[in-house]
Amino acid sequence: MTKRSVDRIVLAIIILMAVLLYGSAANFTGIARTTSAKYVRFLAVFIGVLSSGQLAYSLLRDRSLDKLIVTTHWPRFIGLLVALVIFAMVFETLGFFIPAAIFIPVVAVLLGFRNYLAIGLTTLGVLAFVYIVFIQILSVNLPGFNF
Amino acid sequence: MFEYLAIVFSLSSLLTIAIGTVAGVAIGGMPGLTATMAVGLLVPFTYTMDPTAGLMLLGGIYCGAMYGGSIPAILLNTPGTPAAVATAIEGYPMSQQGRAGLALKVSVTASYVGGTFSTLILLLFAPLLARQALAFGPAETFLLALMGLAGIISIADENSSLIKALIAGLLGMIIAVIGTDDMSGSLRYTMGMIELIDGIDFMPALIGLFSMIQMLELAGMRQKSIDTSALDKTQKSEPMPRGIAKHIALGSGTGTVIGILPGEGATIAAFISYNFSKRISKMKELFGKGNPEGIAAAEAGNNGCVGGSLVPTLTLGIPGNSVAAALMGAFIIHGMIPGPDLFTEYANRTYPFILSLFVANGVFLIVGLTFAPYLARIALIPPAIMVPVVSAFAVLGSYALNNAVFDVYLMIGFALFGLILKKLGYSLEALILGLILGPIAEGGFTQGMIIGKGSPWIFFESNIAKVMWVIIALLLVPPLISYLKMVRQNAAGVRSS
Repeated sequence: MTKRSVDRIVLAIIILMAVLLYGSAANFTGIARTTSAKYVRFLAVFIGVLSSGQLAYSLLRDRSLDKLIVTTHWPRFIGLLVALVIFAMVFETLGFFIPAAIFIPVVAVLLGFRNYLAIGLTTLGVLAFVYIVFIQILSVNLPGFNF
Repeated sequence: MFEYLAIVFSLSSLLTIAIGTVAGVAIGGMPGLTATMAVGLLVPFTYTMDPTAGLMLLGGIYCGAMYGGSIPAILLNTPGTPAAVATAIEGYPMSQQGRAGLALKVSVTASYVGGTFSTLILLLFAPLLARQALAFGPAETFLLALMGLAGIISIADENSSLIKALIAGLLGMIIAVIGTDDMSGSLRYTMGMIELIDGIDFMPALIGLFSMIQMLELAGMRQKSIDTSALDKTQKSEPMPRGIAKHIALGSGTGTVIGILPGEGATIAAFISYNFSKRISKMKELFGKGNPEGIAAAEAGNNGCVGGSLVPTLTLGIPGNSVAAALMGAFIIHGMIPGPDLFTEYANRTYPFILSLFVANGVFLIVGLTFAPYLARIALIPPAIMVPVVSAFAVLGSYALNNAVFDVYLMIGFALFGLILKKLGYSLEALILGLILGPIAEGGFTQGMIIGKGSPWIFFESNIAKVMWVIIALLLVPPLISYLKMVRQNAAGVRSS
């Protein structure tokens, strides 16, 4: 997809959001009707006008056909995202250490690093650093199972 | 003042500042990692620390990272931070000529002078400016936030258009509306999610927008090979060139002033200082081929931003740049709301923090003069090992502040959303400034409307308000004129082709 097309879609979504935001201010109650509602409308009008102007400019003048390149290596990009989401999902039940002990080497290998000794030492170093600095010195409470 | 000096010069404080500064130099020296990323990532962890020590640690990281970026820029032609790009233009050719020793010496000296000068300005002027803020009512507070928004416009560069920078800023302000309405106590746009009752905390957003995005970009990037030949080359020992002080002074002044302007960052400061230096230099022809004057101005400029950016942050609650925004987060989580209170009620924390920046500058001066060539090797750490480590800290940092996994999802969401916006040319700095300025603007606006009995004239009544409108106009009009000129030129170009 071209950058121009995605930009237009984003601007259209922002304009729609501005309209909905403006309308939603009517549902504010009590003192918020004369205060917060006006602020929300102020923001909605401002962003709506600017986005409409930008969309009009894009429709009338923008002739570029540059592709939107989010990443040049999708498997690694998606892999990191999936690993992050899994890390977050198990964070509360398993705590930091076990997921991190798996996350760091898996992502390093996923990104093409093959020096297993360096990966192992780095993982151990990070875990030891978090344990000593965050748990022992700073008393940060981490969830779930900790060493 | 002596009691504040005693706090700074205690053994534990000196150790904290030294650790922060050395860590900052190392982080700044790693391409892809920035001061904002490091400070943003570590703010949640200072929550359980003594506030003064926590702030000193972050201040050290800020100072160290600003300087650290110049080391790989000079030795490997790989700027550790965007602010060190101008340094690479002059520093790398010098390294290839066997003059890296001089380039590194000029860089660390200029960084030290720039950082120290701007901290001195912060120390002298911040309390005065904060006192002026006592005269601000809700209307002026709202206008202050608008001024910050107007400053966003100047963030716009070749990658992010002026209108898009404003849209991003407003988007941040709209995201800040989510949560409980302070006026009525009712919930707004929470979609029934209890996690959103207190609104969207800007720390997960900051970590997502400035740390995780960089990791996602690095993960999807093909690794470039770095030329390490300069590291092994025999380097000459040279004295500081004559007349360099003029360029350091120019960079220090320019960086400090640019740092004070909301939204202006170290990269802009470094480039503007570099261009000024080029203009006044008697050796213009050497620029681009290894001129130490360019390094002096650029490095003094980007380090001058440190103290400068903290002036509006600490006094008015308007962050001078994204690192200052992250630091402001640290003040807020310790219950220290920027403004006059920082210099009265919390003076025993604020002044030691400011004084610690002088020490941090001294620490990186020593580190730079002694270990710079060895530190350049940090830039050779492969991104494949850096990405999982920083990502793990990003997850930990997002979680640690509120002990909420929801914040981790928010961080990932902001990273993805921000990456697309960034690719489309929207300014992420503007987005985060909008998110921070949102509650300030809303508080000022709603209270102003109550005082003005629903009339918007309250925002134009006082003399301070009138002056602020003039400043907003001055901030808006010149970039708007140049933007319109650019649009016209583009249109003429399209017609002629």
